[in-house]
Amino acid sequence: MADKYKLDPHSAAILEEYRQQRPVFEKMQETLPAQVRALFEEAGIVVASIESRIKEEASLAGKLELKGAKYASLEDITDVFGMRIITFYTDDVDKVASGVERLFEVDWENSVDKRKLLEVDSFGYLSLHYICRAPDFPYRFEVQMRTILQHAWANMNHDTGYKTGVEVPVEYLRNMNRLAGMLELVDEQFSRIRTEINDYRRQVQSLVASGRLEEVPLDGDSYRSFLNLAPFDTLNRRIASVNQAEIQEVSLMPFLAVFKGIGFKTLGDLADLIRDYSDAAYQIACYQIALTDLDILASSVAPQNLCLAYLLKQGAGRAGIRQMLDTLHGASESNDVMAGIILEQAKDFSFMHAKS
Amino acid sequence: MEVHITESEGTMTARLVGRLDTPASSEVIREVQPLLDHAGETLVLDCSDLTYISSSGLRIFLTLRKAAAAAGGHVVVEGLSSEIRQVFMMTGFLQLFEIR
Repeated sequence: MADKYKLDPHSAAILEEYRQQRPVFEKMQETLPAQVRALFEEAGIVVASIESRIKEEASLAGKLELKGAKYASLEDITDVFGMRIITFYTDDVDKVASGVERLFEVDWENSVDKRKLLEVDSFGYLSLHYICRAPDFPYRFEVQMRTILQHAWANMNHDTGYKTGVEVPVEYLRNMNRLAGMLELVDEQFSRIRTEINDYRRQVQSLVASGRLEEVPLDGDSYRSFLNLAPFDTLNRRIASVNQAEIQEVSLMPFLAVFKGIGFKTLGDLADLIRDYSDAAYQIACYQIALTDLDILASSVAPQNLCLAYLLKQGAGRAGIRQMLDTLHGASESNDVMAGIILEQAKDFSFMHAKS
Repeated sequence: MEVHITESEGTMTARLVGRLDTPASSEVIREVQPLLDHAGETLVLDCSDLTYISSSGLRIFLTLRKAAAAAGGHVVVEGLSSEIRQVFMMTGFLQLFEIR
């Protein structure tokens, strides 16, 4: 079979060893990526993908044809089995590498950090390559670690069919390297944005914890932190006490769009709403449920009634209440009917007649 | 109180007819068992002919919601009259279900 590759006897022997040992490499492919996945999951490391492959026979034969004499045996060829770990962020490449170092024995002499090889005035393929050995397996293997953008660049570059820089037309090389430089900048920016978002989240959590709510802009992160303080619980318990009702917890995140639609800008605005309108929200609940047998409520009652009380008091009218209901439940004519019913009920709410 | 169950591809529908009050609830929870058995699918509660719902009735809706959430399905409530919709609103139940 080796005849079709025109190999010398030494290389043919290595190829034959590859054929015989293929089940070992298949076992490596079955076992090692799973070990990496398990470690990352345990450590909370999120990666874009983990790929693996066993070198095809034809590809190995091609390699042996070119430089078979360089290898004493199959053990000297370190990329028969290979894994590629693709990260979202450049910062994560080192984190992933630490995980690989912990799992496998790294052959440092043969491992390459291509990120450090590039000259200061050049751009190109950035990647971290480790040659590793795993317990229970006789063969070394390669682990490549790079970002999703580096991966895209390398794939596009590979797709041209040029395997070495020497044979590449100069103009093409220049254009690919310009792209590599740009992607490197994009990678850096993505990492920076992630860092800034994390800093912002920490800052918001700190401001919320210290009670300086008026300084915190109302957005998804800050509202989530605010909800951790259970700001509507007191009002919900007060409303539930009317009928000795049980409270069913439900996500209050949909109310963020309502609060923003009403025009609230900071968490301080929400704190003011709760302070100033809880009595009115309670009145609405009393009017609606006190004469019923309803002894089960969802935790959305408090923010819902606060919004209704605010809108009624501000004279938002039927359109304003409908808009709130449309935001919460999706646009529908039923919301207009409900808005009309609430406006009719509002004539009986004492807070609507109180002088502010 | 009547419950009519129909099944189509990936969807179990219970059409509720009449008053879902406390006395009716114990019977209804038995009759919606096919929906609980298919909690991983889309469960539709057709309320077009539902004229009244008590707390006991709301608890049946909640039981179906919990079962669906645990099994990867979801509950859709449709055909709410304005009276029943009012009950859903004042109890906050509109937030618990997909309403059509």
